[in-house]
Amino acid sequence: MTGHASGRERAALLLPALLLLALVVVVPVLRVIQLSFTHVDLEGGMVASWAGLDHHLRVWRDGRWWTALRNTAVFTFASVGLELVLGIGFALVLHQRLRGRGVLRAIVLLPWALPTAVMALAWAWIFNDAFGVANDLLRRAGLIEAPIAWLGEPTSAMAAMVLADVWKTTPFVALIVLAGLQGIPETVIEAALIDGLGAWQRLRRIVLPLLMPTILVAVVFRAVQAYGAFDIVYVMTGGGPGGSTETVSLYAFQNYFRYLDFGYGSALALQGVILAVALTAILVRLAQPRRR
Amino acid sequence: MKAAHRPGRVQRRGALLLALSALLGCGSRSDPGAGERARLSLMLSPTERRFWIPLARSFETSRPGVEVDLIEGPTSTDLRENLYTTALLAEDDSLDLVYLDVTWTAKFAAAGWLLPLDRHFSAAELRAFLPAALDAGRIEGRLYRIPIRTDVGLLYYRRDLLAAAGFAAPQTFAELVRIARALQSPPQRWGFLWQGSQYEGLVCVFLEVLRGHGGFWIDPESRAVGLDRPAALAALEFLRRCRAQDPISPPGVTTYKEEESRRLFQDGRAVFLRNWPYVWSLVQREDSPIAGRVGVQAVVHAPGAASAGTLGGWGLGVSRFSRHPELARAFIRHATSLESQRAFCLPTGYAPARREAYDDPELTAANPFLLRLLAIHRHAVPRPMIPRYAMASDILQRHLSAALAGLESSRAALHEAAAETRLLLGRRRPETNAEVTRAAGSR
Repeated sequence: MTGHASGRERAALLLPALLLLALVVVVPVLRVIQLSFTHVDLEGGMVASWAGLDHHLRVWRDGRWWTALRNTAVFTFASVGLELVLGIGFALVLHQRLRGRGVLRAIVLLPWALPTAVMALAWAWIFNDAFGVANDLLRRAGLIEAPIAWLGEPTSAMAAMVLADVWKTTPFVALIVLAGLQGIPETVIEAALIDGLGAWQRLRRIVLPLLMPTILVAVVFRAVQAYGAFDIVYVMTGGGPGGSTETVSLYAFQNYFRYLDFGYGSALALQGVILAVALTAILVRLAQPRRR
Repeated sequence: MKAAHRPGRVQRRGALLLALSALLGCGSRSDPGAGERARLSLMLSPTERRFWIPLARSFETSRPGVEVDLIEGPTSTDLRENLYTTALLAEDDSLDLVYLDVTWTAKFAAAGWLLPLDRHFSAAELRAFLPAALDAGRIEGRLYRIPIRTDVGLLYYRRDLLAAAGFAAPQTFAELVRIARALQSPPQRWGFLWQGSQYEGLVCVFLEVLRGHGGFWIDPESRAVGLDRPAALAALEFLRRCRAQDPISPPGVTTYKEEESRRLFQDGRAVFLRNWPYVWSLVQREDSPIAGRVGVQAVVHAPGAASAGTLGGWGLGVSRFSRHPELARAFIRHATSLESQRAFCLPTGYAPARREAYDDPELTAANPFLLRLLAIHRHAVPRPMIPRYAMASDILQRHLSAALAGLESSRAALHEAAAETRLLLGRRRPETNAEVTRAAGSR
């Protein structure tokens, strides 16, 4: 046993995984790229013809795309930002040696285990103006007089969606950060204690810097997910009112499945992916520890 | 399946079946494919499925060897549309029949996913259906869908409240508003509920208010767009005013779909409700707080214009990728027969698509409301039957929703919607006067 496989062996071992990856990732992506340069729509009887850059140019002249892009950006920054703050907080609490820590961890994880469509439907009813729990609580607390139609105004509808998303995905961030916390050696913390650092200083100077790679992973995961938000929007607002909560993926979906315009839908999806990749690259670059 | 195509065997079996069916008194129309072992499949909503089982079983009994597979799809209409789209796009032959909403037909037909049915149904057979319901399946002169049940927008009201206050049921928008104001006490009880969320339902509500003001959306003949005409502005302003000053509709009406509004009404928290026929049997059920206190009628209109509820409904089409198109057509014929209509509409309260079902003593005894529905149905307004209907609907939905949420003025919203719709229909300039006159004359 040398511990090293030969090149041929290595290739043979990697092949199944590579084939699977090609089948489920590479082929569909290539197909979307190809479709985005093709006219496949109802006007042409669903027969494909070459479209060149038509769709890609149309994307940037499309007011609805810009609105969707803005909505997506607002949703992504708001929900990921809040989830990060809350998630780190949760993780720090769950990392303490508390009684019933196991139960607590399970409870915190619960929202994450729910299917998004189900929880979005529940939140839509929570924000219903007549039957909703949100209005009922606020009215009992004497904070509002008349019921509010949360999903009926652009700002509150977006806020409601962000709240629902934060409720659901904070546990995910907490879980990842918790894993990161457990990876920090006790000795480092002990050394800091001996040096006389207070709790806040320990968090700011020791824990957070050491957590940075983990937090980055959480942010990238969440940002990409939030950018692709679909089910929560589809169920809670359907993009309304007046298109003020429509996201990029919902718009692409409408083109695919409702308008049967596969060329334009693919162009929207592709442009969306390019932007998401760019966003991720920037995030990674920003969060990288400066090399000395 | 290969063996089954040997002619000798088919003939033998066919003859046997013919004799058998003559004996049993069933229709003796001979279908190639009859008597073969075959499986027909159809996807529908889980709530409707159990009412289809008797139809499927009776078909199976009349054709030994045939199996009808009723596939349970998602409850949401949109999701079922997506599933059908995906299956048909993939040229999947596992769905023989397509259970079509009125708004899908033009799109699926334009995509080439449905087989035309004209040649296979005689004129006499087709005359048995309500003309509006049948026409909803006719795209550019060809028939792709046979209707099973039909829907039309209706106005429900609290008969007890109106009677106690001495009001007659309203005929005009002004009367509706007056009665709603007099009888409401918001937020415990609102005047008028409708569907204002940004989705297809909003378009349905707007379309009947628009027709009630004498306007039109897209003219079926000339393809003229009527959204930037005064009637459209009056219609949108009516909806906007419902929840503006001295509102008769709750602020959340712009987030309601059918069920949100139905629940509120059924809880006794509204005087008027615009909704579909399905609501009738639910609000009259024993456990409903308002059972026996509800009236239903045609939607209201402006003085000088006529009432028109939006036409909806469901029907069957045959998938181009079906391996048993003949058998699928036979099933459609069976499912739309008077007996099947009775079996299907009695327990559900659905409005049948077959004209004679409305004279059926059993059906009308169980659901006296049917006769009224027939009269209302006669004036129903269809949605434009264009292949790119989904896009036209979305344009309208977005601008209506924006105007109702106060993001755009009604006038600007309708001008934008009209411009975008014309662009969609492939004409950039407003219609000439001649076309407008013709459009107005054709109604």
